[in-house]
Amino acid sequence: MHNSNVEELFPSELKARLDQIGEAEIVVGIPSYNNAKTIGHVVRAVSVGLAKHFPARRSVIVNSDGGSKDSTQNVVMQAEGGADDLLLVSHSVHPSYRISTPYHGIPGKGSAFRTIFAVAQRLNAKACVVVDSDLRSITPGWIELLAQPVLEYGYDYIAPYYHRHKYDGTITNGIIYPMTRTLYGKSVRQPIGGEFGFSGKLAACYLDKDVWDTDVARFGIDIWMTVTAIAEGFRVGQAYLGAKIHDAKDPGADLTSMFRQVVGSFFNLMESYEQVWKNTTGFEKVPLFGFPFEVGVEPLTVNTDRMIHAAQQGVQDLREIYTSILSPQTLIDLTTYVHRNGKGFHIPDSLWVRMIYEAAKAYHYRTIDRDHLLQSLVPLYLGRTASFVLEVTDSTAPQVEDRIEQLCQVFEAEKPYLTQQWDAAGKEKLHAQPV
Amino acid sequence: MRSLFDRMLIDPFNRLAEQSAHIVPVLIIVLVTLIVGGFIAYVLRWLTFRLLHAARFDRLVQRTGFASMIERTGVFRSPSDVGARFVQALVWVFIVLFALNAADTPASVELVRRFVDYIPNLIAAGLVLLLGVVVSRMVSRSALLAAVNAQWPAARLIAGGVRVLVMTLAVVIALEQLHIGSLPLLVAFAIVFAGIVFALAIAFGLGARDMARQWLEAKVRSSVAEEEVFRHL
Repeated sequence: MHNSNVEELFPSELKARLDQIGEAEIVVGIPSYNNAKTIGHVVRAVSVGLAKHFPARRSVIVNSDGGSKDSTQNVVMQAEGGADDLLLVSHSVHPSYRISTPYHGIPGKGSAFRTIFAVAQRLNAKACVVVDSDLRSITPGWIELLAQPVLEYGYDYIAPYYHRHKYDGTITNGIIYPMTRTLYGKSVRQPIGGEFGFSGKLAACYLDKDVWDTDVARFGIDIWMTVTAIAEGFRVGQAYLGAKIHDAKDPGADLTSMFRQVVGSFFNLMESYEQVWKNTTGFEKVPLFGFPFEVGVEPLTVNTDRMIHAAQQGVQDLREIYTSILSPQTLIDLTTYVHRNGKGFHIPDSLWVRMIYEAAKAYHYRTIDRDHLLQSLVPLYLGRTASFVLEVTDSTAPQVEDRIEQLCQVFEAEKPYLTQQWDAAGKEKLHAQPV
Repeated sequence: MRSLFDRMLIDPFNRLAEQSAHIVPVLIIVLVTLIVGGFIAYVLRWLTFRLLHAARFDRLVQRTGFASMIERTGVFRSPSDVGARFVQALVWVFIVLFALNAADTPASVELVRRFVDYIPNLIAAGLVLLLGVVVSRMVSRSALLAAVNAQWPAARLIAGGVRVLVMTLAVVIALEQLHIGSLPLLVAFAIVFAGIVFALAIAFGLGARDMARQWLEAKVRSSVAEEEVFRHL
């Protein structure tokens, strides 16, 4: 039902172009908004990847654009294919088609993806790959790694696996990865990585969901795709892509809205798949495609003092909100820990996990306005990030991975607390209904 | 011929008796209405309190923060008590109207008519105030969160200011609905609001010019620096 709705939103030029193309086995989607500086490189890498690794398959590159004002769409259409001037072992039987189209709906990455899913379905694609348009480290090999497990090994969803700086991806490391693993039982290391490969069947499943007026239409799309794939029982894998280097500026992305959209989408998914996560115990490793190798990552500096100050101000000024979200004991512990300064600042794993679980419960039962709840978590997240950064300052990459593993284990150990809180709050709410 | 005695004593007495025969039943009806109505109002207050208490109304209100406001007044015991007394007051209003109507004098009938005509204004004013409370709470909390996440030091002051401003606006609109000094109030509000904005602008522009410049520079520099080096997703 929703599929046809999307197709109705296709511009007439896009419909005509799709009719002209007919069918394609691989669709590569590139969402964009003012990425003229970087998208040319991405399109070239994708074109070469398709020509080199899938020369016998019909393929289409779709740029789903959010109304760029910097000639992004022109760059996409004019970027050299790359296949002709590179020495390739095999040559394409079918040259890849290229489409650049504006998407319809709420401005955001998710809406752009929706158009890509619809194009994939319309072309009856077997595999679909999506890559960010601000990537500087993408190589043609990424297309093979993301599409081949779907085309040849029967996988439905391939998440990326990168080497990242130890301070990078803190929402992933501190919340999303441990919670995805704990609740849904699959160890997908980069569940909101941004680059994914998936089957046509899964694209159709995504299109059928009625989520396009929510934060899924924005930054919530990545976690929504990952959790939906796992919870709906699709076959999930990972692909080792090396290092991920973006353009420095991410348009329209400020921390509060990003955090709100990603964490809010995750909490929403906890409602949709309540029975799935309640019945999941333990976790299993997800197969990794590609050959892991050591890569250098760009150095990062983090201003921990600023983050600590944000956390302390949050605890002081948002006390009324925290009182309605957190349990009295958690609030006492938070107040005790957060007021230590400098290197003594520390938010223990168990406290962090309890705060997240209690926030998830409060979100579910709408203890306060959901948007306010998510915004109020930002200072706590910054505090936890500062604590983590201080802790791993002198650690090597493997040591940091071990540290994240420890955090995952705390999330898993405390899962019964989440279930108990969730159910207890439900009963309390039931009793509080007016007679 | 009627005697002087009849005209001076008997006639006034008869007139008094006649008027009393007219008034006493009305007075009795009014009195009974008030006594029975008062009893009904009390019973309804008691019942409402029990119902709200059983429905854990106090705990629900506690989450909104109104409970502490109610406690701070020192007049009411709890949110359930407020609800129960509100029902009692409402019932009393209807009882008094009923009693006045029963009196059936030109003055009481006119009073009732004017009151009934005024009810829509009362309801509108009440709704405006209620909306003002809800909106001011939401808006001030949004302002507080935005200010805290931007790490502004005076976040609570900003949130409080926003709340006062929205509530003042609601009170002015409500008073206008009640036709109580609407124009002078509106003018006073506009003057005070414009005055505050003007005073703040002058204070910021003259008194804290350097501080504002330094703060903005630091803000722009630190946000650019952080965006360039740090990715959360």
